Amino acid sequence: MLLGPGRLPRVLAGTALVVLTAVWLLPLVWAVATSLQSEQDVSKPGLSPLKGALTLESYRQILERGNVLTWAFNSFLVAGLVTLITVVVSTLAAYGFARGTFRGRRVLLAVTVAAIMVPPQLLVVPLFEQMLLFNLVDTYAAVILPQVVAPMMVFILKRFFEGLPKDLEDAARIDGASEGRVFLSIVLPLSRPIVAAVSIFVFIGAWNNFMWPFIVTNDPGLMTLPVGLATVKDSFGILYAQSMASALLASLPLIVMFLLFQRRIIKSVATTGLGGT
Amino acid sequence: MTTTAPSGTAVPPGAPPSAPPARRFSFREKNAAGRSDGLIFVLPFLLLFAVFLVWPVAHGVWMSFTDSSLALRDTAFVGFANYAEAFGDPDVWSSLGNTLVFTLISCVPLVLVALAMALLVHSGLAGQWAWRLAFFAPYLLPVTVVTLIWTWLYQPDIGFGNQLLGALGMEPVGWLSDESVAMWSIAALTVWWTVGFNFLLYLAALQALPETLDEAAALDGAGAWRRLWSVTLPQLRRTTVLVAMLQVLASLKVFDQIYILTKGGPNGTTRPILEYVYDVGFTGYRLGYASAISYIFFALVIVVSVAQLRFFRQED
Amino acid sequence: MSSSPPAPGPRPALPPPPTAGVSRRGLLRYGMAGAGTALLASGALAGCASPAASSDASALKVWDLFQGGDGILMNDMIKAVSTARDGFAVDRTILDWGPSYYTKLAMSAAGGRASDVAVLHLSRLAGYAPGGLLDAFDLDLLAEFGCAEADFTPAVWKRTQYEGAVYAIPLDVHPFIVFYDQDAADKAGLLDSAGELAPMGSPEALLDAGKALAKATGGSGILFGHVTDTAQCWRQFAAFYAQTGAEFTLPEGGPAEIDVDAAVRVVTFMQRLFDGRTNPNNLDYYGAMAAFLDGRGGMVMLGEWELPALRESGIRLGAAPFPQVFERPAVYTDSHSFVLPHQADPDPARRREAHRYVARMLKQSLTWASAGHIPAYQPVLARPEYAKLRPQSSYADAGKVAVLDPPNWFTGAASNFQNRMCQPLQAALLGNTSAEKAVRQMVREADTLLRQPNPVA
Repeated sequence: MLLGPGRLPRVLAGTALVVLTAVWLLPLVWAVATSLQSEQDVSKPGLSPLKGALTLESYRQILERGNVLTWAFNSFLVAGLVTLITVVVSTLAAYGFARGTFRGRRVLLAVTVAAIMVPPQLLVVPLFEQMLLFNLVDTYAAVILPQVVAPMMVFILKRFFEGLPKDLEDAARIDGASEGRVFLSIVLPLSRPIVAAVSIFVFIGAWNNFMWPFIVTNDPGLMTLPVGLATVKDSFGILYAQSMASALLASLPLIVMFLLFQRRIIKSVATTGLGGT
Repeated sequence: MTTTAPSGTAVPPGAPPSAPPARRFSFREKNAAGRSDGLIFVLPFLLLFAVFLVWPVAHGVWMSFTDSSLALRDTAFVGFANYAEAFGDPDVWSSLGNTLVFTLISCVPLVLVALAMALLVHSGLAGQWAWRLAFFAPYLLPVTVVTLIWTWLYQPDIGFGNQLLGALGMEPVGWLSDESVAMWSIAALTVWWTVGFNFLLYLAALQALPETLDEAAALDGAGAWRRLWSVTLPQLRRTTVLVAMLQVLASLKVFDQIYILTKGGPNGTTRPILEYVYDVGFTGYRLGYASAISYIFFALVIVVSVAQLRFFRQED
Repeated sequence: MSSSPPAPGPRPALPPPPTAGVSRRGLLRYGMAGAGTALLASGALAGCASPAASSDASALKVWDLFQGGDGILMNDMIKAVSTARDGFAVDRTILDWGPSYYTKLAMSAAGGRASDVAVLHLSRLAGYAPGGLLDAFDLDLLAEFGCAEADFTPAVWKRTQYEGAVYAIPLDVHPFIVFYDQDAADKAGLLDSAGELAPMGSPEALLDAGKALAKATGGSGILFGHVTDTAQCWRQFAAFYAQTGAEFTLPEGGPAEIDVDAAVRVVTFMQRLFDGRTNPNNLDYYGAMAAFLDGRGGMVMLGEWELPALRESGIRLGAAPFPQVFERPAVYTDSHSFVLPHQADPDPARRREAHRYVARMLKQSLTWASAGHIPAYQPVLARPEYAKLRPQSSYADAGKVAVLDPPNWFTGAASNFQNRMCQPLQAALLGNTSAEKAVRQMVREADTLLRQPNPVA
């Protein structure tokens, strides 16, 4: 939208933007300031976010205890594996659905699309019992496997593959390339943006997923960052500076990722549209 | 399993390959050349899909008819007892009510604020990069981080909220402990946390709009307001439908931030249905009963989705 | 890892952190699953992987729900047992006090990979032992480490059992008692010759004591915080009710067996006691503590666990068992106990260590007593050091007349049952309902809970 020549709209819009941004940044600024002070200073009353001298003490204590590092490792492992499996499995399936001719394709596709309607949160009870049956409660497998079924991603990728021109693929087929070959050397290179978009969303979703990992892990050594931070406590009770410091450490990886891939992430929201958690 | 036809289409062993039965030929022309029919591509997904989605859905239905327990003991079939109990359980209704209230008071601002943000950022002012980061960054925070920050803001004595009210000469508010305030506090947190995603959807839509209409209106002398109302907003209709539908479904599924912040309190006034499922199934051990409540909620989700689809179709 | 003893440096002899083993196992399992054999492989691997996990030499995993003062004392005790000769490597995990702790405890036990030792309120045993969520202690093994039935009071010991086996070893008993300002009590003439709070003996005596204390402080007499609290009202009611000699039983399938007359008598007395004039009726938990610390009241009804906080104040602090006003002495109590959460495939050597750890911790319970808790292990209670602890020794006998929640799967500390009992009691104290109506609602609530199918039986 063009604002036009007048000064007034421009000033109004600018003011609104600055106010909204301030409101949105305030909690973060407050959190950063809190994490950089001593527990004593933090519990003083007052409106200013800075109530005493700056110190890195909270960060030092957290890193020394090591919990947060264990959970960060688990988060990377879980989110990384969930992304890898989901993307590989979904891409293959989407291609199979888009180009395949096997019997029952339509029915299976319809079932897959219908499954988009099933919110995974509704399945926590039977899934937990399933994990009990498989003897998987408190294992990485239990955290990861139920997260890799992503009918929505299959659907998005399938739509993309269907939009690809078939000529190139057929040319390769006539040259005698196998389906696997066609997929790897013709289709995948053309699909890099959409695969990147899907990967980003699956990763963000898995990184921030709370409910399922919370339910299926009780051993703190297996917890992901959000679950560990919410569940495991400290013998000293609530320490605000330390909890802010752990919160910020926990959010660092994705913020850095966003800064690096900002354009790609925004584009992926546009291309997948329906991603998100 | 790769290139051969399903054994169901029994080809007599002696039949010459050059003359396959007509039925088989029409089923897949490529197979005549010994090509994959694509099933193998779909198989890994189907396997995981069957084990971790179809099975739990089906098993959950079965569980909802049993007295399945977290404790280690045998399970018995109880017929519709769980469903009968759920329909008479006031906590099911109150938590469903809480879920709907949360959905209502979170969705409206989550759509409107996102739209306002996108329009402002798209208005061409300098510093796109910074605005986008400010609005989208909270979306990247794990839920526990968000709740840690906001617990601190809502802290009754030294938190920012009550310090600010104090500075303005007002009485402190029990942000999370006052029954009439707590749900609003949670909705505010949720808007702050997740509006960035809707904002990006709107921003992407705005950037994809053809500028010709807008320019033509500008040439005709239409002011910025005028063009916003009669050119830009109508063009965003489809995006709004998408954002609203996604948001309603996401809000109905609320659990994380409420569970961590208030555990459903004070006095159950913020407990959403998914937390009741957790409370009944895991805290109270009654997995069978929790399954029944899950499916009642599932029915509600489906009704809401279908209603939305119909509503927006009619509008089109 | 949350291995809690804050050791000054890295402990040299520490075995490799358990994460390493677990992650390898997880990766392996994932690899198989990814290959498309998720179901079979995970089942098979889980079968062979779990014994490996429990037999490796990693630290003893212990769970508890102690933060703040208790949390730090627990740290000290773990440090003492782990650094002693033939000590332990202990990996301590602290979870939030309340339902979330108990949920996680049950889920980990159901999953079969639970911690080696956990803390459980004895009042909650009926929700865990019958459901197979706990493993029984081996009493011979405990005796080998110097700990036997004779070391506990019968009132507490009888609650540790289910179907003849012992499932919990009490660390403490922590009664609901009264703290008082010694100066105010002296002025009000409530102390005996030894300087302890003199027995009350009748409802009128406690009412009079309240008046005398109010006069002595110039503020309120007896303080009690209950508004929006989910346990306080029940603790007080349960103590007074048990003093009438009436039974409160929750038989399987219902209906609840409650002596309505006795209950009405108790609630009526509670309403008279907290009349809103002599003794305030509208305080919340922290409000009552603050008022007492501020000198605005002469006595406060609280759990003994608040001792460390009250001691900070500089008030000359006295304490006494919950005053007996009806026919017999009774004190509402709970007990932090050690339990063995169910493990699918326990390693005998590790189990042995768990027993040894529990016995060692009991012998450290003098440290625990400094938080106000009464050690359940009688040899510690008999030590002269304990007799010197003030005001702890003033209420040391409370454990002998301990009354715990009526046993049922849904009762106990931090349970929905206590919460539901508190709602009508709170309304009665606030004057929003009559004693009769409040008791009728309590009976109704109890019946509703009893009608739920029992998930642990």
